[in-house]
Amino acid sequence: MSIRAARTEVASRALLGEGVETLHPSSIDEMAETLAEATAKKRHTLIWGGGTHQGIGYRVDPDLVIFTDHLARVIDWEPDDLTVVVEGGVKIADLEALLATRGQTAVLPEDPGGGTVGGMMAAGVSGFRRARYGPTRDRILEVQAVTGDGRIVKGGGRVVKNVTGYDLPRVVVGSFGSLGVIVSCCLKLWPTPRSTATLTIEPGRLVDVHRPLAVLSDRSSTKIYLGGTEAEVGNQVTRLGGETQNELVWPAVPYRTWAFSLRVPPQTAAGLIAGMPADADFIHQVGIGEITIAAPSSDGMAMLRSKAEAVGGALIVTRAADDGFDPWGTPPPTLDLQRKLIAAFDPQRVINPGRLPGRI
Amino acid sequence: MYDELIAALDAERVLQTPLALHVYGRDAGVYRGQPAVVVLPETTAEVVRVVEIANRHEVPVVARGAGTGLAAGAVATEGGIVLVTTKMNRIEEIDPDNRTALVGPGVINLDLSKAAEPYALHFAPDPSSQAACTIGGNVANNSGGPHCLAEGSTVNHVLALEVVLADGSVAMVGSAAPDPIGLDLRGLLVGSEGTLAIVTKILVRLLPNPPDVRTLLCSFDSIADAAATVSGIIAAGIVPAALEMMDQAITRAVENWLHAGLPTDATAILLAEVVGDTAAVEAEAKVMAEVAHAHHARDVRMAADDSERALLWKGRKAAFGAVAQAAPNYYLHDTVVPRTRLVETMAKVYEIGARHELQMLNVFHAGDGNLHPLMVFDASVPGMTEKVQQAADELVAACVAVGGVLSGEHGIGREKRDLMPLMFSATDLDAQARIKETFDPHNRFNPGKVLPTGARCFDLGASVPPGAWV
Amino acid sequence: MTAQVWRTDFAPTTAELNACVACGLCLPHCPTFRLTGLETASPRGRLAAMRGVAEGVIAIDDEFEEAMSFCLNCRACEAVCPSMVPFGRAMEGARAEVAAAHPTVGRGLRHFVLGRVIPNRGIVGVATDLIKLLQKLGPSLLREGPAQRSLRGLRGLQARPRRAQIVNGPRVGLLVGCVMDKWFGNVNQAAIELLDLAGYQVVTPASQTCCGALAVHDGNIKSGRRLAAANVAAFASADVVVATAAGCSAHLKGYDKLNSEGAALAAKTLDITELIARLIAEGALPRLPVTGEAVVVHDPCHLRHAQRITSAPREILAAAGLATVDADPDGICCGAAGIYSLTHPEASHQLGERIAALAASAATTTLIASANPGCEMQLRSHLPKGYRVAHPVELYLESIRSSSDHVLL
Repeated sequence: MSIRAARTEVASRALLGEGVETLHPSSIDEMAETLAEATAKKRHTLIWGGGTHQGIGYRVDPDLVIFTDHLARVIDWEPDDLTVVVEGGVKIADLEALLATRGQTAVLPEDPGGGTVGGMMAAGVSGFRRARYGPTRDRILEVQAVTGDGRIVKGGGRVVKNVTGYDLPRVVVGSFGSLGVIVSCCLKLWPTPRSTATLTIEPGRLVDVHRPLAVLSDRSSTKIYLGGTEAEVGNQVTRLGGETQNELVWPAVPYRTWAFSLRVPPQTAAGLIAGMPADADFIHQVGIGEITIAAPSSDGMAMLRSKAEAVGGALIVTRAADDGFDPWGTPPPTLDLQRKLIAAFDPQRVINPGRLPGRI
Repeated sequence: MYDELIAALDAERVLQTPLALHVYGRDAGVYRGQPAVVVLPETTAEVVRVVEIANRHEVPVVARGAGTGLAAGAVATEGGIVLVTTKMNRIEEIDPDNRTALVGPGVINLDLSKAAEPYALHFAPDPSSQAACTIGGNVANNSGGPHCLAEGSTVNHVLALEVVLADGSVAMVGSAAPDPIGLDLRGLLVGSEGTLAIVTKILVRLLPNPPDVRTLLCSFDSIADAAATVSGIIAAGIVPAALEMMDQAITRAVENWLHAGLPTDATAILLAEVVGDTAAVEAEAKVMAEVAHAHHARDVRMAADDSERALLWKGRKAAFGAVAQAAPNYYLHDTVVPRTRLVETMAKVYEIGARHELQMLNVFHAGDGNLHPLMVFDASVPGMTEKVQQAADELVAACVAVGGVLSGEHGIGREKRDLMPLMFSATDLDAQARIKETFDPHNRFNPGKVLPTGARCFDLGASVPPGAWV
Repeated sequence: MTAQVWRTDFAPTTAELNACVACGLCLPHCPTFRLTGLETASPRGRLAAMRGVAEGVIAIDDEFEEAMSFCLNCRACEAVCPSMVPFGRAMEGARAEVAAAHPTVGRGLRHFVLGRVIPNRGIVGVATDLIKLLQKLGPSLLREGPAQRSLRGLRGLQARPRRAQIVNGPRVGLLVGCVMDKWFGNVNQAAIELLDLAGYQVVTPASQTCCGALAVHDGNIKSGRRLAAANVAAFASADVVVATAAGCSAHLKGYDKLNSEGAALAAKTLDITELIARLIAEGALPRLPVTGEAVVVHDPCHLRHAQRITSAPREILAAAGLATVDADPDGICCGAAGIYSLTHPEASHQLGERIAALAASAATTTLIASANPGCEMQLRSHLPKGYRVAHPVELYLESIRSSSDHVLL
């Protein structure tokens, strides 16, 4: 074998199954060689960042697991440009801690666990602060990806505004590696607000708040997250009232054996929540239409899914206790086009084969 | 083909006379191309019929909105069909609760914001041509505008698209729900300049109008001071709603037309706007003024009211048009450089102009680092066009050399496609070409735009198994 | 660009055509582009067509003629053009070229009517008597259509107004106009009385004639120049020249483009609203107390776009004590546009319906002010019964007359 990547006998072999090879490429070229070989041998390949979103999608039975933990360098950070270039294996928590030293944030998920930047991009997840800063795909400026057949492909650029060629960075977000493993990306940064506050008000109360960082609602309360200048935050706190904490206190989603993400047009969310099983916990991102659900079973979720799909939304499984409930639901109508597009990047379909909606 | 088109639409909306073909042969840029026929469909079904006819006759289709593009993205392919969307201009629905609007591609950008005004909402992308350009054109070029500094370009505001694909089928991508499952084809379609599909309906996100706004007009004795102020404002932790620079030559041309009281004796002026809560905008305006003064601003003035603010923006947005006062022709680029490289890039731009003895004007989105270096000239002078082209190529190379890109918001079109290899490797371009091929295998939609010819390479080396894709 | 293709010395010039950089900012302001969505019906497209002719790739054929004649010449594009393309001038040049290239019987007749008949006061007088008769018999004699609408648009005709008392003051020459004096005599009368009141010496030279706008817009440059020369001579001794029709004042201000001798008259011309608003500002004319009544203001294109005058009529109406409400913030042409309602009745009618709907919904009042006779007629013929459309100076004079503080006349 020509691959120089470090091989490890991972402790999780039992989890992954016998005969599964694991590799830790430490350079982009190594990643390319690894995948070219995977294509040559048609090996089903799972890409592993922090493992935090492996619960999403159809199950992949890999012959090979590629870890990105050796591709974890911050390549370039220009604080005055408000951009950062990182390798895909950089841990979200590490990056945010680094950026915070200069009062900046990449607005990545607030409770990332061991998640990596590349993994979060591939899974297409966003943090709560998307209410102010937009979803993850609005903040990826450049991407370097290694395709299933081992090509190193770059798209976008390291500037905050760009329409030079097709927007590869955007379509890579949420593609679960099907268009390539994200080996590096350039992210748009934001200055951290100078002052913040978390207001807790009774659930269901209507408030008029201008561009909050987030508004999160659960069964017991609604929390409004504010950020800005001292006066701005102070004025809003005075105007809105409620119990106030002078920092951003993000909720933790309670652990259950099943977890879901319900995504619907924002104004339809309340109606769907009303029909949610009583034993399910949730966090509703008000104004966004994303509802994170934790439940002891998938009971009642099929009904919720059909309601969501009827309004153009989806209900996806983010953690499953068994294979008894379809992870995605009805695939999008452009499935054929999506399949062809993936074939242009991963002709032997080696990265996460069949994981996406429609088993593509 | 003409008869089939007439049967599919009606005679009044199929144009084939020499005059019509002549006037539809160009957009707002310098390139020309004469189509064989111009069609103005009114419905998605009619677009489908046009695409089917084009497929039968194997002729290309170039979609066109208002024709305000500057990169020859909507310039006709010789012998092809120009499909004009100006009659698909219905605002079908404004949903104030979900803050969305469903529009036809021919709806004029500013008309949408005007229609959303009663709900205190607006469509954020505001290209300088917003009074004329269409939302369909904005989608094609992922248009920006001064206010995309904080709010992002068109792609950040498109929720779903109805498109006609190359085989004549109609597809809906995206929805009003966040994060559609599967590949996000919206991201590819927005900014694809009509090369992948023809957009027939657009579901856009509308933003609430800000409660308050402050607009500063800062004047400087040097470009470097103005550019340093831009970097300084960003470094101070402020992301203004807009941060625009105009140099003296542009300012004078605009002032000559508009009489807005712009300081024509300043070497550069900076237009900086912050929006939000009153307390926030006051604090931020104060910080921005301090940064400007620290960089030797000779004057910092705040727009007194909405009408003064509107006047300042009108001047900024009419700047391109105003340059015709200086010379009959102009040529401009749309490069973006990292904001920290702005000062040196500006110096380089003027140096290139001086070396070629060309008048170089600059009006641009400084906050994004999005330059619009613009040369005015008289094309009837022998050798002038070649000189301008040479200077333009040097300009682009200089911008790419500091980590910049070819286009921030105008698109690549016919004009800049051959410059793509400056930024992208053969492998990168091949990947782009595969995207095009996937959507449009017969190269029916807007051929010859965005990608250089020969971008698709079939012999990329040993790492690729032969026959893996055909 | 070759100049040989043009036949007249009035043709669009290379400089005029080169001034357009095709940015497209004019498009949404063009009424005919708004109606059709056609590039060929837009200012940019029309300039491109003219340039095509200059370059020898487009013929002056029926299609070119229609492209030029479909233009309302409202000049809304000029007001928004940052390149300051003199579109109205270029369009008149293009129409002169069309006329020179295609002398047809129909156009010959139109040229005769607009160049000879309308400027002839005797004929207009006879025609006026005929129209009075028609009005009395009732418009029901005519089928629904442009002619019937035009008749409905006319004012009820009245006796000829009295002339001014002449006092010693700056000499202001009043262009009484070809139809203005006969059909809109109250407006001229109001102008004379107001100027009198402000201490101006108003002269109405008998040798004056029609301003020539209708002829020139139709490509009849010869008549246009002849009429201009007559007016230049007639008003030679006036210090200021005013016209009470925005179309006339706009055209007088462009006399320098017709004849080199026209420059002096162009320079001393004011629209009546400009002069009256100035006199109000100077205190020479009174500001009356607020009545609480509202008036919807319609901006004639030749005031708003061609002369960039928008505040003067509003200041006059405010001085009359009226609260002003805009009919159309976008300033799209009402479709009157000289003889356009006859040459392009359908487009004219659509635009008329549009402006009437806007004016009627702008406020609860039934009072509408417009400073141009063509627009006034167009508005009246498209508004429901019960609306009054009048010139701002008329309304101002009425307020002065009814005000107990100012016993003047």
